[in-house]
Amino acid sequence: MDVIGHLYQGFAVALEPANLFWCFVGVFLGTIIGVLPGLGPAATIAMLLPLTFQMNTTSAIIMLAGIYYGSKYGGSTTSILLNVPGESASVVTCFDGYQMAKQGRAGPALGIAAIASFVAGTVGVVALMLVAPPVARLALSFSSPEYFALMCLGLAMVVLLAGASLLKALLAMLVGLWIAGMGTDLFTSTSRFTFGHAELLDGIDFVVVAIGVFALGEVLANMEMRGGARMLPVPKGLRNLLPTWQDLKDCRFAFLNGSVIGFLIGVLPGAGSTIASFISYGVEKAVSKRPEKFGTGVPEGVAAPEGANNSETGGALVPMLTLGIPGSGTTAILLAALILWGLKPGPLMIQDNPSLFWGLVASMYIGNVMLLVLNLPLIPLFAQILRLPAYALYPVIFGISLVGVYSVSGSLFDVWMLAAFGLLGYAMRRLDYPAAPLILGLVLGDAMERALRQSLMMSQGELSILVARPVSATMLFLAVLLLATPLFKKANALRVKAIEQAD
Amino acid sequence: MKIRNFPILLALAVMAGIPLAAWAQGFKPAKPIEFVVHTGPGGGADVLARFIANAMEKEKVLPVRMQVNNKTGGGGATAMAYLAEKQGETHTIAAYTGIWFTNPIMRAEAKHTMKDLTPVVRLVLEPAVIVVKNDSPHKSLRDFIEAAKQNPGQMKQSAGSIGARDWVVRQLLMKNTGANWAYISFPGGGERIAALLGGHVNMMVIEPQEAGEHIRAGNMRVIAQISDRRLAAFPDVPTLKEAGFDVPTVPQVRGIVAPPGIPREVVTYWEDVFAKLTQTPTWKKYLEDNLFEDGFMRSAELNKFIDVFSDTTRGILKDGGIKVVR
Repeated sequence: MDVIGHLYQGFAVALEPANLFWCFVGVFLGTIIGVLPGLGPAATIAMLLPLTFQMNTTSAIIMLAGIYYGSKYGGSTTSILLNVPGESASVVTCFDGYQMAKQGRAGPALGIAAIASFVAGTVGVVALMLVAPPVARLALSFSSPEYFALMCLGLAMVVLLAGASLLKALLAMLVGLWIAGMGTDLFTSTSRFTFGHAELLDGIDFVVVAIGVFALGEVLANMEMRGGARMLPVPKGLRNLLPTWQDLKDCRFAFLNGSVIGFLIGVLPGAGSTIASFISYGVEKAVSKRPEKFGTGVPEGVAAPEGANNSETGGALVPMLTLGIPGSGTTAILLAALILWGLKPGPLMIQDNPSLFWGLVASMYIGNVMLLVLNLPLIPLFAQILRLPAYALYPVIFGISLVGVYSVSGSLFDVWMLAAFGLLGYAMRRLDYPAAPLILGLVLGDAMERALRQSLMMSQGELSILVARPVSATMLFLAVLLLATPLFKKANALRVKAIEQAD
Repeated sequence: MKIRNFPILLALAVMAGIPLAAWAQGFKPAKPIEFVVHTGPGGGADVLARFIANAMEKEKVLPVRMQVNNKTGGGGATAMAYLAEKQGETHTIAAYTGIWFTNPIMRAEAKHTMKDLTPVVRLVLEPAVIVVKNDSPHKSLRDFIEAAKQNPGQMKQSAGSIGARDWVVRQLLMKNTGANWAYISFPGGGERIAALLGGHVNMMVIEPQEAGEHIRAGNMRVIAQISDRRLAAFPDVPTLKEAGFDVPTVPQVRGIVAPPGIPREVVTYWEDVFAKLTQTPTWKKYLEDNLFEDGFMRSAELNKFIDVFSDTTRGILKDGGIKVVR
């Protein structure tokens, strides 16, 4: 088959010692910046870009792509250990990952994250290699109404993320939507909720809210328990630091689900890895035999989002490499890099530079193996951080959070915002409001509003455009179904009760 | 030059027997240059700044390093405010672009205008082309305009935000022809192209470099170019004027500004450095690769350009029904 021949050539390129070296440099740097909250792959690649001018183009793209997918591996580490999301795509990993760490299962959680990343990362590359052109064409048929329906489906996940009270979850989600609406309105260029501050013209950075609500909120809530603040248990012995067979068996479907959903959403230029991780978590919970356990530390709750955000990388490279259309901030920079190196990214690039494309694909297989080998031995090391007593651990989390937020924008204003969201997170914990729906609203709000308004501009105000198209109609129907599940459950509970009383 | 270095330099100058007047004329940077941009890493201004920093080093035009500092936020307002605060600082410069003009006109929160800063040079003009999908029935811009006239509001353009260059082009064309079509904003360039190629919109304004490969692959067709003369890459496509639309050409401008209140000789120094840079092969190749035009202009000329450009922009925004705050 043609693919095998190409891939063989690709491996010949990727296995050249220089390319192997740069692949390792890339995935190693990626892991580090993934672990550090704040600094993301986009910023790192942009800063390293001038250094690549002296390099061979294939080596350079292999290294930069390594940074990109490598960062997704590292992102889970601080989410699991400290409840500090390392990247925006790792917020969902906090839900169950941090709970697992609290139960002394930090090692297995990190192990599951690494394995899920490896499996889904590899599936993403296979898909990139086999189905890129047709999938890219399919992605083009997606337009604003479909994006709106997709965001609705995502938002309907709130019923799955809600804790004891659906009302509280909806309120938290509304606050998230409100925060998403801050800044400049794209369509009219008017300011919303900026209160005269130029710093708010671009809205509030997602990282600031996520780190504030999750990490600082958690620290503040724990500090309150004076004396009672126990250290997290970290069992000794290597066996306790790795996932068990049972864990892996529980994650079987999550690996598949994360891989497929991550790739498909990655291909869409208007979505992104954060949305992919939310949706795959929601799907995992929806089909699970034990949905009530989600959020209390189940391994599949880590595997699904971690898989999705890794496979998303393969997906996001599809429109970039086959069409020259960047789907995310990071791929936009990779595209800029290709242009600066004198290549012409576009529909003909693979045809014109087969060795670059196939070399990159082959290097991604190698890079994923390197990442697994690199990350698994680090787990016992990272897990040790939880042995720190509370009076040392909490300041560390505070420090990491502050530096992480400051490194995104270099603005003290954001640090103050972080403090405010830390207090909000604390208040929400005290009053028993779940944080996840707030983040969900924040992630989806902006894209959802935009897609709705674009759709209505396209249809000149006719709402029917949303249901007249089959794909968007299907997704909207699923969203309604999802929203209605609590009602069904309630009705069912009443029926059971009625039958019992009749007996 | 920082005040605390002054006595030492003064002493050195006296020791070396250099006449003080001559010293005052010859500014030379003594530490790395802070290069402020308003986009995050990877944004248009950021990529240009990092390219300049690299080219300066490669072509040995500047004796010190340049360090890019991303002051993002507020659609450029944060970077402009930061620069305005650096009053008199000689080791800081910034890369401006069109949004530095439009943002303060539209936004009350953006308190600093280009007039508050010291103009240094204008560097590039980025032309644009108007494209349609390859299977579009519109063979020329006239075809599109006629279709828009017959179906008011039904034709669609995928584009950026209000006040961006593609918006300005639309406003000018609509005013000139009386046609009317929808302007659908997408935040990312990739989404705009995807909307056009997916057949969800009819037309877009795009940078020629960005469109180049889609045209070569036969996915897009250029129907007009927004440039004073035809670009070498598109010898057969008419400019707006040639196509019969008498509207001003709106290039995307990029250049360098410095903080307010810096000495004249520092401005001269930077003018000379950038004049030298634009003569190097690295720079010429960069313009060629990206299909940019050389828009070099020195400080005095740029100062006049700022006035004219701001007034034109304000007028277009007002005509477009946008609230103008200053």
